[in-house]
Amino acid sequence: MTELHFTDVQRDCLQELVNVAMGQASDKLARYLGTFVHLQVPAIALVEAALLSQHFASRYQQQSATLVSLGFFGDQGLRGETIMLYQLANVGVIAQLLGYSDDAVSEAEMLTDISSVLTTTFLSGLAEQLENSFSYAAPRILSSRDQYFADKLAYTAEQWQLALQVDIRYQLTDYSFNCDMILLIPGEAVLRLRQTLDNILADF
Amino acid sequence: MQLDWLLQPLLTQLNTGVLVLDAQYRVVFFNQFIARRADVDLAKVQGNLLEDVFADLPLAWLRRKLDSVLHLQVPAFSSWEQRQYIIKLAHLRPLSSDSQYMAQNCSMLPLTAPDGVSRYICLLIEDATDAYVYQQQLQQSVIQLEHANRTDGLTGVYNRRYWQQQLGYEIQRAGRYQHPLSLLLFDLDKFKDLNDQYGHQGGDFVLVELSRLIGSLLRDTDLFGRYGGEEFGIILPETGMTGALQVANRICDTVARHKMLYNQQTLKATISIGVACYFAQSVDELIQRADTALYCAKRQGRNRAVAYQPELEGYLKKVK
Repeated sequence: MTELHFTDVQRDCLQELVNVAMGQASDKLARYLGTFVHLQVPAIALVEAALLSQHFASRYQQQSATLVSLGFFGDQGLRGETIMLYQLANVGVIAQLLGYSDDAVSEAEMLTDISSVLTTTFLSGLAEQLENSFSYAAPRILSSRDQYFADKLAYTAEQWQLALQVDIRYQLTDYSFNCDMILLIPGEAVLRLRQTLDNILADF
Repeated sequence: MQLDWLLQPLLTQLNTGVLVLDAQYRVVFFNQFIARRADVDLAKVQGNLLEDVFADLPLAWLRRKLDSVLHLQVPAFSSWEQRQYIIKLAHLRPLSSDSQYMAQNCSMLPLTAPDGVSRYICLLIEDATDAYVYQQQLQQSVIQLEHANRTDGLTGVYNRRYWQQQLGYEIQRAGRYQHPLSLLLFDLDKFKDLNDQYGHQGGDFVLVELSRLIGSLLRDTDLFGRYGGEEFGIILPETGMTGALQVANRICDTVARHKMLYNQQTLKATISIGVACYFAQSVDELIQRADTALYCAKRQGRNRAVAYQPELEGYLKKVK
């Protein structure tokens, strides 16, 4: 099996790129939403995809977690899937900011819209940092309003080798909105990602 | 190799709608896919606002999507499952689809002109009408299957499995909320004679005819099922013994007075009914009590309703 570990230097480099991308995302979101958006420095962790569902099952225990998936493709074989995980109870806050309160929009559409705005804003910044660009597949809801989200997460994660777990905490002026983002990346894309990180490091 | 010549024929023949808007949401371009299906001429509407080119757009919704594309420079998506269509376009399945307009998946992508400043939005519209039609058919089949799965094929009332399951639910509900609940079990009198005289088709005819007649006497909330052969059950929620006996007697009288015409012959039939009230019994116990009452109704001369009382158990033993 291919060795997928990152060296400390590679990991720090990735953390830095994620930080920059997150900073850009919060700036864009703040301007778009017309409110101050603070994104904490996200903690990233590389975990085996197989262990993901256990981790999140305990974290979202007894809560109705919503899972929305969005696939992305970049150049040089960099591709993957992002999963946004959040509590349904949190949706109202961000939906209000996005202007959903005034007309009748299905909950499903609201969930996919929120997820795609939050993930693509971050991902397009990350792609830029990686000197790449991503195209995206339409978001789809994996799980909502049911208690089987851990099973569904396990099933989705099974198809990937490595998961980059990015804990994001969005804080808006008067609200706080917590969610988790998981980047699932297949083995060969991990190798590409490492190569890109090495190239960036070599430039310094 | 110079490939620029490819763009025009590809855009023209592409089986996806391509619509480009500027930052003021004015129409800059659309391809033939959209021109033909919306019956508009690009040369005539170029530069016009989107909403002036295409009628009945979900404007507030669309603007919110387009705003996010423009300001965040990230794509937005719309699925036919959430919003069946955005632009009213004709489709090629007018006979199989119940919708006049093409079901659409739409991607809205940010574009920047080579000057690096001018922003545009490209809408890619895919025809999802086939998926929509298949889903409609699937839903229809599921509804039919669900109906068939709880219905008795001959009489159209609930089948035994479903009916007994409902009795379980009703008993739980009555127990939890302390609401009254009654059960009627009835049986056609001398059904064997009917079959012998008119054949099994005659017997079936009577079952169908009486099911329809009795069904018309019930409330929407009553649950009428075929227990087996010529035996039927009716669950009466929110009904105590007095009410249940009234219903049972009305059914008995109506059936006895009802004349049925079969093969130019006038037929009459009677039924016997056992009535039992829920009082913390199990499903089986409640059915057993109604059955005991039904047995007594038969013993007492048929064509009548009998309410269950504990004394009937002794009566049952005596005649056995």
